[in-house]
Amino acid sequence: MRAIPVGGPEAAPEGIGFADGVQRWSVEGHFGIAPVVHAEVAAGVLVREGDRLRGAVRRAEEFLIVPGNRLDPALRAALDGFGLAVRTAEAPRAHPLVDRWAAAQVVEQRREGLEREVCGEFLAHGDQPLVVDGGLAGLAGASGAERAIGVVKQHETQFLDGEDLVVALTLPEGSRSSVFARTLANGAVTHSWYLRLWPWSDEDVLHGLARVERLATGGDDDVDRVSRWLLAERAPIAGRDPRWDRLLYPIHEVETVLRAHWGGWS
Amino acid sequence: MTDGSQPVIGRVVATEALPAGPHQFHFWTTPDAPVGIGAIVRVDGGGRTVHAVITDGRAYSDLVTPLHDVMASEGNPAAAPPPTRRTEVRLWTAAVLRQEPAEPLQPVPLADVRSADAHDVEVALRMDTYARGDERTALPVGLYSAGGTRAPIYLDADFLLGPESAHLSISGVSGLATKTSAVLFLLASLFTHFPKRKGRVAAVCFNVKGPDLDFLDQPSDLPPEDVEMYEALGIPAKPFERVHYYAPYKADGVNLNTLRTHPALVDEVEPLVWGLHEVLDYTEVLLNRDDIDAKADAFLDFLADRVVGKPFVDEWGQHHLVESFAGLEGLFRAIFDGLEQAAGGRAEMWRTHHVATIRKVRNRLMNVSTRCKGLVTDEVMSGDLPFGAFEDRAVYAVDVAGLDQLGQDLVFTRIVSKLREHLERRDLGVENVVVFVDELNKYAPADGPDTYVRKMLLDLSERGRYLGLVLFGAQQFRSQVHRRVVGNAGTTVYGRMDGDELATPGYQTLSVATKSKLATLPKGELMVRHPHFTQPVFVRFPRPPVLAGRQGVERFPPVPDVPFADAIVRQLVALDRGMAPQRAHDLIAGRREDDVRRALLATRRARPADVLAFFTARLGTAVRRQRVDEESAAAVSPLKPLEDPYAPT
Repeated sequence: MRAIPVGGPEAAPEGIGFADGVQRWSVEGHFGIAPVVHAEVAAGVLVREGDRLRGAVRRAEEFLIVPGNRLDPALRAALDGFGLAVRTAEAPRAHPLVDRWAAAQVVEQRREGLEREVCGEFLAHGDQPLVVDGGLAGLAGASGAERAIGVVKQHETQFLDGEDLVVALTLPEGSRSSVFARTLANGAVTHSWYLRLWPWSDEDVLHGLARVERLATGGDDDVDRVSRWLLAERAPIAGRDPRWDRLLYPIHEVETVLRAHWGGWS
Repeated sequence: MTDGSQPVIGRVVATEALPAGPHQFHFWTTPDAPVGIGAIVRVDGGGRTVHAVITDGRAYSDLVTPLHDVMASEGNPAAAPPPTRRTEVRLWTAAVLRQEPAEPLQPVPLADVRSADAHDVEVALRMDTYARGDERTALPVGLYSAGGTRAPIYLDADFLLGPESAHLSISGVSGLATKTSAVLFLLASLFTHFPKRKGRVAAVCFNVKGPDLDFLDQPSDLPPEDVEMYEALGIPAKPFERVHYYAPYKADGVNLNTLRTHPALVDEVEPLVWGLHEVLDYTEVLLNRDDIDAKADAFLDFLADRVVGKPFVDEWGQHHLVESFAGLEGLFRAIFDGLEQAAGGRAEMWRTHHVATIRKVRNRLMNVSTRCKGLVTDEVMSGDLPFGAFEDRAVYAVDVAGLDQLGQDLVFTRIVSKLREHLERRDLGVENVVVFVDELNKYAPADGPDTYVRKMLLDLSERGRYLGLVLFGAQQFRSQVHRRVVGNAGTTVYGRMDGDELATPGYQTLSVATKSKLATLPKGELMVRHPHFTQPVFVRFPRPPVLAGRQGVERFPPVPDVPFADAIVRQLVALDRGMAPQRAHDLIAGRREDDVRRALLATRRARPADVLAFFTARLGTAVRRQRVDEESAAAVSPLKPLEDPYAPT
């Protein structure tokens, strides 16, 4: 593992896409001690034309979540009267907090599902790259998935240790680590590398550090070029988000657009 | 009510901090939407249609702090632009012009926003109530031009010339010729569109500086876009057809005190010359406040009522017929001589008037012809506006630019007072008169002494509309004009304004953006307030179809003053083109200048068929001085001595 300068920023191709998803949920009431959760999830892709972003694909869902194995059929029928889809969360035991945790899992899964849908729709047409917020596990096997570029902001999963970890976490600005392969739970193989977007001196070692991921089917001959594209995306800064050092502005805009479509809770 | 002919350009937004109200709302557009400050927009929704004018606009992006932009460009403002442009918003504030239905008055619906088309503009400004039908009273004031829409903007004649409201006040910085141009354009519009059924209309324009109004009958070279505007507004792009010029003489009494002295034009300038009769009623103008006490006032009344123009016999048996300043001086001399002889020179009263009061009035009055030389004459003669014979759609341009303040005050006061008198009697010749006065902050200032001129202008602005006497006042600083004068103006027009002026309280109701637009308004644009318009409206107007003063002076350069005799001959020849100049020269050679002046003025007044004969008759027989030498003296026989009737018997 070594640090490799990638060169200066390079403009990404015209028509590049940016994908992200958002979710929100709240407990609207209880049947006994069982919470009824109201959830909304959305995912979308913005395409850049010139220096403007425009909406390309968007999906949104609103639904209720109940503990499916403990709900009386009559109550379930009453929920149907709201006109929203009703999903079930299977909690290991009956407790409101556990039920909420289970509901949150459902929400997250559904959001990831929508993200897969919008990314798949974008990748199925054309030949433009797509920058995805997060890893690419869900896209394995999708048509055109080799054009997907995952940008992971969180570093909760440790892939390196020892001197390799030191090299990765102390990358200078504008440098990347060597590429390392990672096999996903579904058997797909990804190529991954760390990229320092912003200098970390006087900051946390994770400041400005992103992990980039690509499906191994795409090869790794354009790692430096993709890194330069991402370096170019440092401007403008998504200053409203505390994760601005790793959050690309177009990704931030996808979130903003999706939340704007939500408005307030109905 | 929604015809949908105009594309949607924005959408009304309302938040708790920026709610939509019945009088104001906010909407956003794309950055390239064809709207700006002053544009009229239309909102349809919730069963109502709202027309509004944009009064403010803001643009911002999601940039939290400028520091983020510095960081993103790594401190280099010349760095390549970021690949993604930040999302930005154009947020506009609009003031409601009209809501349909008007009742119940409700907040503006949160709906789509469209640019106004020509019909919308008419409805928004309530012009539909007076711009159509047989009772049309619309006077074009300019073209609305925004959002791809061009539409004529009309004033309501009933609210410009009365009786509903009246008067126009126009403000703007000096030097752009906007104020004068706008007034001349508006007069052209008025003369074209003022309904015949409303009576006849004329304009009296006081030229107070330079040659501004000296070439109203001369065409200018209008650019095609201005000609197009005239066509769009239905106004002929040609100079005024009937213009009558008046100017006083200079101190020499023969050269006109105006810049319209080019030989091709000067013949159309009538001299403005007033004698005692014309001036005496306006002595208040000429005398300062310290002069006018009750005693002096009483003596002036006595002179006006009992002396001037009437046979008068004094206590010492002398008969007086005072028709001129010279005659008045004769009366004063008789009074002082009589008092000198009476009571051994100690008499102090004459007909209840103290001798000191008489002396003061005499000094002030007799100085008038000196201080206003050229305008006021010692003699019995006058050249005046044709009160009683005013022509419909004619401009009477009175050039007072060369007069000092006192003379200007006298001209304003007398002419406006005469107009008022004749309009009250309905015998002026027209039923409506527009009086245009520039530099109103000088003649009706907000502070300073309460002059007769200011009182006259106040009276005109407060009572004029009932008489058909309308003031078009122009000034650089509206805040420096008496508030009752500007306050009575039903229509207010603004050209480019001075920033300091805009900071005064009178402009508090305007938004910051509107003020900024006013401070940078290009030549040819105005902001108009009119009783029918609930918000100010910006319009474009064409250059007036007449030569501007500066162009006029270049094309018709004034000629230098000519000698007395040449000036007289030139005026005589102008009255009779067939006259041989040498004959006129011979006629006046060796004659007293006062006699010549008097004869010329009389000839000008009479306009006889045989000018030379009339002039000769008025000039009278020459009384030549004869040199008496020794020889001829000896040839005269000694007179037979008469009996001395006073010889002691």
